[in-house]
Amino acid sequence: MGAVVEIENLVKRYKELIALDHLNLTVEEGEVFGLLGPNGSGKTTAINCILALLYFDKGSVKVFGEEIQPDSYGIKRQIGVVLQNVAVFEELTVQENIDYFCGLYVKDKKLRRQYVEEAMEFTGIEDFRKFYPKKLSGGLLRRLNIACGISHKPRLIIMDEPTVAVDPQSRNRILEGIQELNRKGATIIYTSHYMEEVEQICSQIAILDKGRCIASGTGEELKAMIKIGEKIHIEAAKLQPFQLEEIKELRHVYQVEYREGMLEIRCDGGKHNLVHILDYFGKREIGFGRVYSELPTLNDVFLEITGKELRDSAEGAM
Amino acid sequence: MFFRLYKYSLLQSTRDRLALFWNLIFPIVLGSLFQAAFGNYMEKEILFQQIPVAYVAEGEADGNFTELLKILEEENEMVTVEEVGRKEAEKLLQKGDVQGIYYNGEPQKEDGDKGQVSLVVAEQGIEQTILQSVLEQYGQNKSTLLQIAAKNPAGLPEALALLEDKQAFVKEGNIMDAPTNNMMDYFYSLIAMNCLMGALIGLTAAVEFKADLTPLAARRVVASTSRFGVLLPDLAAKITMQFFYIMFTIAYLSFALKVPLGERWAFILLTAMVGSMLGVILGFFIGVVGRSQQGIKEGICIVIMLGSSFFSGLMVGGMPRLIETYVPVFNHINPATLITKALYSLNMYGNLAQYAQSMGKMGLLILTLGIGAFLLVRRERYASI
Repeated sequence: MGAVVEIENLVKRYKELIALDHLNLTVEEGEVFGLLGPNGSGKTTAINCILALLYFDKGSVKVFGEEIQPDSYGIKRQIGVVLQNVAVFEELTVQENIDYFCGLYVKDKKLRRQYVEEAMEFTGIEDFRKFYPKKLSGGLLRRLNIACGISHKPRLIIMDEPTVAVDPQSRNRILEGIQELNRKGATIIYTSHYMEEVEQICSQIAILDKGRCIASGTGEELKAMIKIGEKIHIEAAKLQPFQLEEIKELRHVYQVEYREGMLEIRCDGGKHNLVHILDYFGKREIGFGRVYSELPTLNDVFLEITGKELRDSAEGAM
Repeated sequence: MFFRLYKYSLLQSTRDRLALFWNLIFPIVLGSLFQAAFGNYMEKEILFQQIPVAYVAEGEADGNFTELLKILEEENEMVTVEEVGRKEAEKLLQKGDVQGIYYNGEPQKEDGDKGQVSLVVAEQGIEQTILQSVLEQYGQNKSTLLQIAAKNPAGLPEALALLEDKQAFVKEGNIMDAPTNNMMDYFYSLIAMNCLMGALIGLTAAVEFKADLTPLAARRVVASTSRFGVLLPDLAAKITMQFFYIMFTIAYLSFALKVPLGERWAFILLTAMVGSMLGVILGFFIGVVGRSQQGIKEGICIVIMLGSSFFSGLMVGGMPRLIETYVPVFNHINPATLITKALYSLNMYGNLAQYAQSMGKMGLLILTLGIGAFLLVRRERYASI
């Protein structure tokens, strides 16, 4: 398997603002590659550079081994794009829209007809083929947007936040669809600020912040990079400061926070942390309510590396 | 490929209700308002159609006047002369088949001079006034020459040369020098404005092609079809639609409102086609130049469209003649004036020299704007999206 996309030392400035700061990324064939980062982190700018839409100040972008240019039609034939905003003709029906965009890649009429049918079936919008976009719900509109981008069966599919403002049912369908496309052989670049989605479908993840790739690897590799191994939450009333100190002294525990009757304990790996802690509560005869344990998330990775919450950054930027 | 994209673009245009309103309904409403305002006045005006006149030459007829009528009929296409006897001429005048009778030789009244030319008309009107001025000018010139011949025979050739220039009743030259029907200016300008409304359609083509303006454009330009391959069918379809709109307006003006646009339909169609192209390409050019938002570009299109139409006489008749006096170069580059001039020339002049000149200028504008726009978008990458 070779590299489908290679980005080296990419720098893109918008006047004073550095949108991409010496970005390096490699997407291998067959991957679902997630670009994760808050709004304004450079995900869409990176995508636009890959598509030869944007000038950049420095670096190189290779797709299928070649530097991509606006007239690299041979390479573009193998790329499908699902943009962040819905990009369809309001005056054409669902079927006409898909046929139009598929026709920009596929000249053979019979093959195109087959591809259009398959795209409608794949995205589950075949019953709405005669509908105009304005008559579709938000979720169906997103699915049409995807159908227009993938109907020509590209080898590389770039999806820029395709699930923004989509209902849970449509979101699940879209995510399943992406995995299905990947199983059929397509390499996928998926950008999102929803870490759960990225964790769910991506085999490789790059976390972007301020135009830089601050970490990359599989989800597990990323989580292994940080100190936190487990977060334990215990509902307990009236804990004394000395008790908190004692809990902090337990094995693998490195941080304890107690706020409004809820104790949050962070452990740096190890096994049976919850058993050890509950054992301490039992010995001290401390009463407790709800107890739950969490494994680290990509948000924890982002928090530990940048000192800020991924989710908060994303929402704050919106 | 071309025809499939062309078909979809055409479908898209036919379903664009806003464009349908502005390009189809609005000109018809405006045309109807013009007709309501000027219709009666126009019916009385003559658009330089040849004036039928009877000619009765008896006895000692003045041969020079016979010659003059011949020139006015054959070269200047100003009158149609029917040489008949006195009674026949009177019958024709009574029936309204001719607008007047020129008597040459025998006086039409018993106390008149022999050898004099005289005119009899049945009613007063512009046609009769024109016939009267022909006669008066002829009489003045004849009298002048006779006096010069009597007093200074040596100066006769010079005087003849001077009079020859002056004697041209319909002088072919710059359209702005020619006499005109101001009312028709409004209708020509209306058609010109309708053509330039294509600018908004052309702007849509640009907006759907500039990736820094819409996501739809981004999706189109990242496709594996060349930019020219995407653009050409789109522009062709938009020009087709615009042409259809203009044809509808022209048909409505001509057949429903009976506005005398002339009989040269092939050339009128050609003007509508070239005018449509000019409008659409103008809008496309505005769309691809600069990074302003769509709303701002729409504003620019509307200002250019209305401004151009205003200076072509849409709101103030005779405006092009005023421009010709003070800023003549503007008339050569103002799209609406060029369209107006082309239509005017068709209706006004026998030959097509003036028409060809206007069409040539329009063609040059289309080429300049089209090539300029295409060079701008050919391999365009954007600084930001």
